[in-house]
Amino acid sequence: MNYFESCLHSLPEGSDSPSRLALVARRLGYEGIIICNHIGFEKFFRPDAVNELKGIKVAFGVEVVANNPRSMRSRVAAARGRFPFVAVHGGSEETNKAACEDPEVDVLFHPEEGRRVLGIAAARAAQMNQVAIGFDLRPLIHLRGSSRSRWLEVVQRNLILARKFELPMIITTGSRSHLDIRAPRELRALAEMAGFESCETEEALRYPARVLELNSRRWAGPGVEIL
Amino acid sequence: MRSRLPVLRMRRRYIAFELDSEEIVFPKDLAIEIISCQSSLFGDKGASVNRLKLISFDGRYGLLRCSYSRIEECRVVLATIYSITGIRAAIRVKGVSGTIKAATEKYIPKLSLSIAETSAENDGRRIELEGVSGWIIHSHGREIDLSPDEKNRTKGSDTRYLGLTCFDLCGGCDDADGTADGLR
Repeated sequence: MNYFESCLHSLPEGSDSPSRLALVARRLGYEGIIICNHIGFEKFFRPDAVNELKGIKVAFGVEVVANNPRSMRSRVAAARGRFPFVAVHGGSEETNKAACEDPEVDVLFHPEEGRRVLGIAAARAAQMNQVAIGFDLRPLIHLRGSSRSRWLEVVQRNLILARKFELPMIITTGSRSHLDIRAPRELRALAEMAGFESCETEEALRYPARVLELNSRRWAGPGVEIL
Repeated sequence: MRSRLPVLRMRRRYIAFELDSEEIVFPKDLAIEIISCQSSLFGDKGASVNRLKLISFDGRYGLLRCSYSRIEECRVVLATIYSITGIRAAIRVKGVSGTIKAATEKYIPKLSLSIAETSAENDGRRIELEGVSGWIIHSHGREIDLSPDEKNRTKGSDTRYLGLTCFDLCGGCDDADGTADGLR
C-alpha cells in the first residue's frame, strides 16, 4: 500500500515514544511514519529504539514554527541538512506565502489555522517550488458544532485552490498520542467527508514516501542529481 | 408499521471494532458517545437513515449494526470518537460482515482480554529513564502505559499516561512484562 502517516509528534512534545507510535501505526496498516516535532522539541526521546522494530519505516523530520518569514527561512535552512522531511507550521498569510516560496520546504501544514484561506500568489508559488499542502484532520476529530463547520469551509476552499494549481496534498491526523492515530481506511473516510476525492486521498497518503525518496538522493541544484 | 416481508427489510451490516482506551469504558457510555458523534456530524436526518445500534461490547471488542449502504459513514463516526465520558479512547474497525455470527467468528478473538485485565491501577513497578519517570499502569505485550511523575508531560495530548514500549527501556526485552534494565 505504501501509506505513510506524515506528521506525528512524539515525546517530549506528545505523550508517546517514537517506538510506541511506530508499533501502533504498523498494527493499523501503515508502511511508514514520519515523526515531526516542532522546532525546539526536535530532541526525540529514544530515537534508536525504532531500529528494533521490523515491518515499518520510521523517519524523523521537523515542523518549523516561526513568528515571521525571516526566522522561518533561517530555521528551514538550518533544518534542511539535518532532516529528510521539513514541514512548516503555517497560519498567518505571510508565513504561508514565505513557506510556499521556499524550495527547501517539503510541506506546508495548517495553512488554515488563522481562519484564512491560502492566497492565489501563495498557491502559485507552491506550484513552482513543489511545496505540498498538508491537511491536518485533527480538528475534524476534536472539534464539534459551529467551529467544525467553519474549519470544514476553510479546508474546502483550500482544496479548490490546491486542485486548481495541481498542488500535491498530504493528509494526516497530527497525532500526539497513539490514541490519535487512525487507520488508513478511516483517514481516507475522514478526508472524503472533508471534501476530498477518493483518488486524492490515495495519492495524499502515498506522497510522503515519495518526498522521503527524493530527499534521500543527492541534488546539485534544482533538477540536477549527483549520481 | 414494521414490515414483516423479508424483501422490504432494511439490509444490515455488522462492524466489528476494538476499543483502545486508557481506562474501563462501559457499553452504555460507548453507545451514547457513538449516537452523539453521529448526530453532531450528520444531523438528525443523517442519523435517521442510518440507525446505528451497539449489539455487543465486552470492554474491548464490540459489534455495531448499521445500514448496508452507509458503512463509510460509520467509519467516519467511529473515527471521530476521541473521548468517552472524559476517558481518552480510539475505536479501530476490525472488519465488516453481513451476519453477527460471521462478524464474531472472523474478527473478534475468542480469548479477548477481560475488563479486569485492563483496569487502570498501578501495578507496583516503576520506570526511571533519562527525562521520563513514573509508575507502570498497564503493560500489554510490548506496550507500556506509564503514569508520569511530572503530570504536565502529557499536557499537549490530553492523555493521562505516557505510551512507551519495551524497546525504550535500556537494552530492550522480548516482553514488557519481563524484567529488564530500567524496570524495577
